[in-house]
Amino acid sequence: MSSTDAAPKTLKLPEVLDLNAASRLHEQVLAHKGEDIDIDATDVSRVGAQCVQVLLAAAVSWRADDQSLKVKQASDAFIKTLQLLGISDEALLPKEMLK
Amino acid sequence: MLKSADVLADLTAASRDGGSVDKSRTSDLVKELEAFAKGTPLPVAAPVAEPVRQEAPVAVAAPAAPEPTDDAGFQPVPFSFDDFGDEADEATPAEAEGGGRSVFTVRFKPRSDLYAKGNEAVLLMRDLAKVGDLQVICEIDALPPIDQLDPEGAYFSWLIRVETDKDEDAIRHVFEFAEWDCLFEVKPGADEALFSVHTASGEDLPMAPVPFDLSMLDEEPAAAAPVADAPAPAVVAAVSVEEAPLAPPSLPRAEKAIAAEAEKKEAAVAGVPAAPQTIRVDLDRVDRLINLVGELVINQAMLAQSVVENESGGSSAINLGLEELQQLTREIQDSVMAIRAQPVKPVFQRMGRIVREIADMTGKNVRLVTEGENTEVDKTVIDKLAEPLTHMIRNAVDHGLETPEKRLALGKNAEGVLRLTAKHRSGRIVIEIADDGAGINRERVRSKAIENGLIAPDANLSDEDIDNLIFHPGFSTAEKLSDISGRGVGMDVVKRSIQQLGGRISITSKPGKGSIFTMSLPLTLAVLDGMVVTVANQTLVVPLTAIVETLQPEKQDIHAFGPTQRLIAIRDTFCPLVDVGHILNFRSYLANPIDGVALLVESEGGGQRALMVDAIQGQRQVVIKSLEANYTNVPGIAAATILGDGRVALILDVDAVVTASRGHALSSEMTLSATG
Repeated sequence: MSSTDAAPKTLKLPEVLDLNAASRLHEQVLAHKGEDIDIDATDVSRVGAQCVQVLLAAAVSWRADDQSLKVKQASDAFIKTLQLLGISDEALLPKEMLK
Repeated sequence: MLKSADVLADLTAASRDGGSVDKSRTSDLVKELEAFAKGTPLPVAAPVAEPVRQEAPVAVAAPAAPEPTDDAGFQPVPFSFDDFGDEADEATPAEAEGGGRSVFTVRFKPRSDLYAKGNEAVLLMRDLAKVGDLQVICEIDALPPIDQLDPEGAYFSWLIRVETDKDEDAIRHVFEFAEWDCLFEVKPGADEALFSVHTASGEDLPMAPVPFDLSMLDEEPAAAAPVADAPAPAVVAAVSVEEAPLAPPSLPRAEKAIAAEAEKKEAAVAGVPAAPQTIRVDLDRVDRLINLVGELVINQAMLAQSVVENESGGSSAINLGLEELQQLTREIQDSVMAIRAQPVKPVFQRMGRIVREIADMTGKNVRLVTEGENTEVDKTVIDKLAEPLTHMIRNAVDHGLETPEKRLALGKNAEGVLRLTAKHRSGRIVIEIADDGAGINRERVRSKAIENGLIAPDANLSDEDIDNLIFHPGFSTAEKLSDISGRGVGMDVVKRSIQQLGGRISITSKPGKGSIFTMSLPLTLAVLDGMVVTVANQTLVVPLTAIVETLQPEKQDIHAFGPTQRLIAIRDTFCPLVDVGHILNFRSYLANPIDGVALLVESEGGGQRALMVDAIQGQRQVVIKSLEANYTNVPGIAAATILGDGRVALILDVDAVVTASRGHALSSEMTLSATG
């Protein structure tokens, strides 16, 4: 899927992704626009719906640009919250992580 | 689909009455539903154009594997609520159909206000998951591209299928506090069609309904474990992946089953005593009934009075009848009031979330302990209770409790305890909010009050006076404005709204030990215990709750204070004497205090005043009639009532009268027309 050859950069998500973190996350994600990124959500202990919105919007936009955005690792809290919210986007919740 | 609703209704009835249900009939239905669901693929946890047909029904079936009972025979399975409790954790759509659980469809679209106010969709969902098992569809159509996204906007909306053994109210309670900031709607019944449509159209979108129940939080998520291989004696196993995705074949069987079921049910119902039934009634109707009963009580009193007047002597038959009538009306009144009485539980439950959220925002550890949740109080009181209570809880967490570090340093448990108690005390409900925090910082309150010009720098105030300063309008000690408190709308608003309910609020605070806010509210807003008094030949009612004591002034106790003010000496203290007749313009001169009676009342801000009236007639319960609704708002008068002789008596607004006595503001607006 990726159109660039460079190894994807990794964006490490902070521990708390509540509503105060949404703007910052938005900026961080936008800064990487146009390049492949991997997202590391291992540290995430709390995630709010607004941050999920940002991440999902990013995933959709990236896909539209034919770039790769993937959550490579994620904490249980991250996975469970996404499931709770009914989000099952492949980019945010790759199948292998559900095992 | 309609049939499943019928079956569900039967099942609910059967389980409620403790009857038995026929498993095979439900299993047929389940097959139908499964087949139907398979007709429209459910891309579970694996969207993006990958073929998921094979997995779809499996995911639905996966949690069903532990289903203990089953074969397809006509064996009535005894059901009790205990069974449900045991099975609740692993219940699935299939099992739910057989378990007498109800299905609701919830639509939930938050507005950005919801997030701004600190509510979090995730928490709401988590609470909802506690009510029942969820199937969640997240609608993301509104989500703009990342560069046009407002990170603090609200784009998601959810369509949730809830299966629960609780009722609709349980679901509503979850959203109760958020409902102003979101579009929210609950419909009974599973809108399977809606879900199917959504999933069908959403094949290439990440909108899969994810079956979710709480047990998943601890277990492996229900994705794609190949259940077809699993040893599944479950109902659902019969519907393996290979089965034709068509509903019709199972129809005749289901119909047969219905007939059988009907017979069985009749037999079952006959032997089982019915559980208490409830009806839902429009609140307006109850209000009308209460109003009418009020009229009845008044009428009865009038009748009694005229009988006494006309037949001095009176035949004993009439008197006996009247007495019976009086008892009956009293009983009717009590029962009607009981209709509106509701436990404070829902309000208390809401506080749990508020505490959690504020604790989250302030980084404090708080445990909310509630007691007496089942204390009952009139619905109108409950409705108006939530707001002041919320405010006080916010205050208690934000100002009252210390941060965990500070608590540990002080040798306290890092977790603060907030105790919310409700109890009945002498015909009123008393609600206490107690925290084990730092208590009121009197030094700070004092200096802040001086800074704001509320008190003179050299004012000599007791600890209690200082505590009461926080009820002053515009008083805030918060150093920075936050979402939580310090917006200038403070305890004064709380106090006012409680006073509007006819209640009182007080504080006891011990430095280092915490504060207790106590509010005492009337059980109902429809009747009031009042003291009937005479002022300048008018009959007035003074709410009993405001009165501290009554006394007959002696000449030596009265002292003039300036040209118009007078003071009365009560046990070593001086108290301003307020001539009610003068304040209300019933008479233009000041009455001689020695001829009247003084009612010592507690007013806003804790100060006491002695209200001068001419005579006390007695104490009685009166039915409140709103003046605003029938006439207009009259300053100094809270409401009106009708006495036994049919005359209208005005209910005194004690606080307004006391305020007026300070600045004479009332007199300009006051006219005699208000005397009815």
